[in-house]
Amino acid sequence: MKAIRILRLLIVPAVACAAVWLTYRWCISPDADSLTIHSATVKDVKDMVRLCSMEIYDEVPVKGHVGPRHLFAKMQLRGTVNFDLEKITADLTADTVRVTLPPEEVEVLESTDDDAYVVIDTWNDNFLGSDHFTTAEENTMKAKVRAGWVRRIYANGTIARARAEAVANLSAMLSGILHKPVIVTDPTPRGTLPHAKTDR
Amino acid sequence: MVCAIMLASCAKPDAPATTFYTELRSVDKLVLASMTITKMATVDDMSLAEAKGLKQTADALLSKVKVGDRVAAYSYDTYLRAYIDMSALSPDDITVDERARRVTINLPAVRTEFAGRDLGLREDHYRVTGLRSDIDATERAAIKERMNAHLKQEVERKGTFRAAVEQQARAKATRYFESLVAPAGYTAVVTFKNS
Repeated sequence: MKAIRILRLLIVPAVACAAVWLTYRWCISPDADSLTIHSATVKDVKDMVRLCSMEIYDEVPVKGHVGPRHLFAKMQLRGTVNFDLEKITADLTADTVRVTLPPEEVEVLESTDDDAYVVIDTWNDNFLGSDHFTTAEENTMKAKVRAGWVRRIYANGTIARARAEAVANLSAMLSGILHKPVIVTDPTPRGTLPHAKTDR
Repeated sequence: MVCAIMLASCAKPDAPATTFYTELRSVDKLVLASMTITKMATVDDMSLAEAKGLKQTADALLSKVKVGDRVAAYSYDTYLRAYIDMSALSPDDITVDERARRVTINLPAVRTEFAGRDLGLREDHYRVTGLRSDIDATERAAIKERMNAHLKQEVERKGTFRAAVEQQARAKATRYFESLVAPAGYTAVVTFKNS
């Protein structure tokens, strides 16, 4: 009886100490993670001369379905309207330089801000049906949203505004550098939709 | 009162906001260089050999008893660009020496910014077998978010990314402005203001 009491007196503190030690070890140990993020690699570095006259930051809903499977998400887009100045051809020796504004290049990317793409809901119309979307299905859905977005900025006059800004900016820059009058003309003030760069 | 408590308890506390924000900004930027940076991440169970500490060991042991494998690799590109804010260029920054036929241009400092990233995610590998759960859209979005945060930290930590694209931009600006004044018989001296 006495031996059991002594054993109990020894075991209980030992178990308590072990529990405290395990809890401590658990708390200080690094979290389990199945994701490994590799170091970034530089694919290429390109030089260019592009005049950017408009930046658009837009949060858009991504809503689509593949059969009975639905997805609803929120995406932050960053669009820029650029003009390739290396495409400009002008007689720079003339007393008055006449330049034609090149076609716009609309670049649409996902923002790098935090939570730029958040999936809000996925569901299946069928009872107990899977709501799983493959990466390809989701990418197609996003590409459709981007194409619609590009059409919208042409329709709502954003591109026309960007081209007007570009005419003013290019005129100011060239006349400042060349020290002579520069006339920039815009043959397509509403934009040239076929030139819209919708995939990168 | 009871109904109100019950309804409140049903609400999702961390539900993302579904209000949409739009901003249109007129700018006058001369983009001179762009860098494409690829980021890759892999999803895989941790092995016992790799596990460090109690949590990871417990997770590795648990993964051992799960039926099937769950391995995937994802990547996407992010674009870092270097530009000059031409709205900061004043007439005083351009001087012309007619006798020497020389134009001196003191350009604003070259700046860098993230232009954005690919909308889609490249699925370089996907093997989910047995009773393991698929990698769904929500998990992929979370993976991309973590990759993005990691990339931004990496670019801030290693100055080489920004330095390389800035150097390329300065060289391009010099060549471009030289070629702009050359037809009129001028030479250009291009300098850059400090950031």
